[in-house]
Amino acid sequence: MLRKWVLVALSSVLLLTVSGLRAQEPVPLTFFMTFVPNVQFAPVYVALEKGYFAEQGLNVTVEHGDENVGVDLIAAGERQFGLISGEEVLKARAAGRPVVFVYEWFQQYPVGIVYNADSGLASVADLKGKKVGIPGRFGASYNGLTALLSASGLSESDIQLEPIGFNAPDVFCMGAVEAAVVYINNEPLQIQQRADAGQCGAVKNVAVFPVATAADMVSNGLVTNEQTIAEQPDLVRAVVAAFNAGLADAVNNPAEAYLLSAKYVENLPLDDAFRSALETAAQAQTAALEAAPDRAAVIESRAALREQLNAAFDPAVVVQFDVLLNTIDLWDADQLGLTDDTSWEQTAKLLVQMGALTEPYTLTGAYTNAFLPEAAQP
Amino acid sequence: MHERILPKPMTNSSLPPVRTGQSWSALAAQFAPALLLLALLAAWQIVVWLQVYPPFIIPPPLAVWQKGVEVIADGTLWGHIQATMGAVVAGLAVGLAAAVGLGYLIAKNRVLDHALSPLIAAFQSAPVVAYAPLLVIWFGSGLTSKIVTSALIVFFPMLMNTVVGINSVPTALRDLMRSMQATRWQTFSKLEVPAAMPVLLGGLKISASLAVIGAVVGEFVNANAGLGYLINLARSQYDTPLVIVAVLALTLMARLLYSGVRLLENHTLAWQKRDRPQWK
Repeated sequence: MLRKWVLVALSSVLLLTVSGLRAQEPVPLTFFMTFVPNVQFAPVYVALEKGYFAEQGLNVTVEHGDENVGVDLIAAGERQFGLISGEEVLKARAAGRPVVFVYEWFQQYPVGIVYNADSGLASVADLKGKKVGIPGRFGASYNGLTALLSASGLSESDIQLEPIGFNAPDVFCMGAVEAAVVYINNEPLQIQQRADAGQCGAVKNVAVFPVATAADMVSNGLVTNEQTIAEQPDLVRAVVAAFNAGLADAVNNPAEAYLLSAKYVENLPLDDAFRSALETAAQAQTAALEAAPDRAAVIESRAALREQLNAAFDPAVVVQFDVLLNTIDLWDADQLGLTDDTSWEQTAKLLVQMGALTEPYTLTGAYTNAFLPEAAQP
Repeated sequence: MHERILPKPMTNSSLPPVRTGQSWSALAAQFAPALLLLALLAAWQIVVWLQVYPPFIIPPPLAVWQKGVEVIADGTLWGHIQATMGAVVAGLAVGLAAAVGLGYLIAKNRVLDHALSPLIAAFQSAPVVAYAPLLVIWFGSGLTSKIVTSALIVFFPMLMNTVVGINSVPTALRDLMRSMQATRWQTFSKLEVPAAMPVLLGGLKISASLAVIGAVVGEFVNANAGLGYLINLARSQYDTPLVIVAVLALTLMARLLYSGVRLLENHTLAWQKRDRPQWK
């Protein structure tokens, strides 16, 4: 009997030691992101730098690559998490890839059509017969264009669609196209800067037709696979929580987010004077956040900071910070991360219209809000 | 005339009797490519059966075959092959013309050689994929940028081969032409071109395959049609069998071009083979 109790006690000690060791060992995780390191991935950099992943017991490494490759890696279990667009999730699932969208990062679709504000274009319908540039007939740009045209009663054949790669500022300012499909948080700023410097032909002011005003489509979000959800739901919850914390901090304190991103984004404009101004702004915002301001107050603080920095610094210095602020506007919502059925339905219908998805399709299992932090649960 | 110093060609009567082992090896050599292809297909199918990767990463050969039949039957593949082939042929023609012309001038002019060689060596080391997006901006998104990409990738190796080919013409033969008071055109057409032809055709064989790569790089950056575009499209639709079909079509296209140059080589250099001793 005594021997039995000694054995139980020894086993318990051993188990506690092993689990203790495991608890101390962070889980290595490679996080997939598209494109290249960019200030638009600030929530991930904030989560890394402020230790939100580490708090969840995760040792995260980021990797960048082609979105379709990322989807396949996640679907095959080679990677467990990545930032992927919603429409890619639907297309991939239709092609047998078991990927699942667990957190809506962009609450507004980031694509739009940039045009010369003085060209007399009043609506998307006025683009009929015009030459419109697009990176190519693929991805979010093409989906967004189709949604915009469709909402205005047009189709691709009504415009002269010109594939121009990701060179919209160059091609637009050369006058080779009259409008261009772009990411609204980025290229319009660059084009406006060139116009201000007199380097964009006859263009003096640019304007944008955003997709978000015409269609509520799912954009980028955090994606995992069915196996991870089934076997490691706590891991999914942990990654979502860390990303959510990083995103919330970036939305609330963009100056701090920009400073933390500088370690990851090469060539991010940050001279001594700009760094000092951002540090001052970040500290002031940290103090202001202690009073728990509402969302409207935080939005106001961002607008004030934009105005202050643009007045004090050269456009070339402040441009990437403006990109971050524009992008934050696309992330911000009352409930970060929440994804809704209507936008998935609209996205699926658009994909069917484009021939990228065939009916009957199912949205079951493609997305879930089940892993959102409790405060953000619907 | 000097008597030939090289060994005399062997005649049939001087050949040793054919052994059975040799006929087997000849037979094996004849069927080796087909056997290798079958072995590769079998290995592919085994990997699929073992489920090393899910079928969306490595689809079964049958799925690729069915996709191939589908896109051939509905004309999709042919349309894209035509687009790529157009860019390849035009790029090859432009690249060859420019390279051979400039290569000849460099070979004949030492000042030009010294002035251009470092520049050419520097440009040659820049991978075309790095500056292809710029070509799209400069030359537009249409066929021209693909032709230029293809021409540029062909240009440098062909230029080098031209310079080497012209410079390798034996001085003794040049002296001979001079002693016979040959005109510049006669020296060019009767001596330099035939003498440089083996090296030029060697360059053309490399260039034919490179031209396909150049056109596809251009199509990858930006296009409305072509096999590079089809691969991008298939990837965006998660259609792995179609990606493989397009890659196989590209391989076949490059192989056909290579074979075409081989035929040209056999035809053009027949004189060289006739005069060469036959060793069996």
